[in-house]
Amino acid sequence: MADGQTARVNSGFGQTLDAMTLERARRGDMSAFATIYELYGSACYNLALRVLGEPAAAEDIVQEVFLKMIGNLRSFRGDAPFGAWLKRLSANATIDVVRARTRFGVDDADTLLDSMPTLAMDAQTRTDAWSLLMDLPARARAVVIMHDVEGYTHKELADLFGQSESWSKSVLARALKRLSEVAQRGAAMEVSHRG
Amino acid sequence: MVDDIFPTPPRSVDLRRLPEFAPSAALWPRIETAHRARVHARHWYSVGLVAAAAAVVAAIALSPGSGPPPHADMIARQRESQALEHQWHQLAQMPASGAAVTTRLRTIDVALQSAYDHGAAANELASLWQQRNEALRDLIEQWRETGSHNVRLLTRI
Repeated sequence: MADGQTARVNSGFGQTLDAMTLERARRGDMSAFATIYELYGSACYNLALRVLGEPAAAEDIVQEVFLKMIGNLRSFRGDAPFGAWLKRLSANATIDVVRARTRFGVDDADTLLDSMPTLAMDAQTRTDAWSLLMDLPARARAVVIMHDVEGYTHKELADLFGQSESWSKSVLARALKRLSEVAQRGAAMEVSHRG
Repeated sequence: MVDDIFPTPPRSVDLRRLPEFAPSAALWPRIETAHRARVHARHWYSVGLVAAAAAVVAAIALSPGSGPPPHADMIARQRESQALEHQWHQLAQMPASGAAVTTRLRTIDVALQSAYDHGAAANELASLWQQRNEALRDLIEQWRETGSHNVRLLTRI
């Protein structure tokens, strides 16, 4: 099961949901669902936003995930932490959007990264991680975020994307290399501007 | 090893320090509204299903092929027919079958049986029961007025 629980454990999806709130939610108590949203809504939103890059699309994912959670809470057996279950719902919903958007795109890692536009470097806007990340193709960005931020393994990513582990490793390695190169170029340009 | 083919490059970008954003404050109310709308839609869908099922059951029950409805009017005519027939047998002192005087009655009975066999509509059945009752009443009345020798004329088709 792809739950990526090797990441941070005391924030975001790693937070613990108390048994009482869970039981109230199972009984359909909307105030319990509101508590769950307060606890995990932001984590869900940030996962989707980092992968999709669009606030409106990320909010749609949060809405979809929470509606699904409310509707399917009875199927949550409790053999994994609630946050992990919700994270899986969030990841699946987000990756579904990425896959739908790139249905007619390429899956090959080389071509995927080659499709990244040449960056017109601007030292002031391109050296922060967020801006650099947003310049990656959506699939590559998804792999980077899911692996490096959310803690998914390559096997879990392969399952999520319907690809091989080699594909996941290749996309991650090339995307990180690309990020590193662009960041270094940005830093060099910043130094030359100062000079 | 695949890891050797794709070595992890040095990370000059710290992805664990990405900014955290908060969703719009209106998002949870939006989710609650969407949930209520779903529950509401599911409720009306269920009501619609029940109504549709009831309509199907009613349509089957009222369709000509399912036989006549046991409504009070029909039952009353059947009971009246039984009573008249009993009265007629007492007067004539002969069985219903085999008597020449009951030709009209037997013809109506055949038509009635045929109507039941082909699943006739309730109004058709009610009409035949009514005819049967009228035939029995005529027989009884004629018997009382003139005696058995004239009944034969009455029962001719």
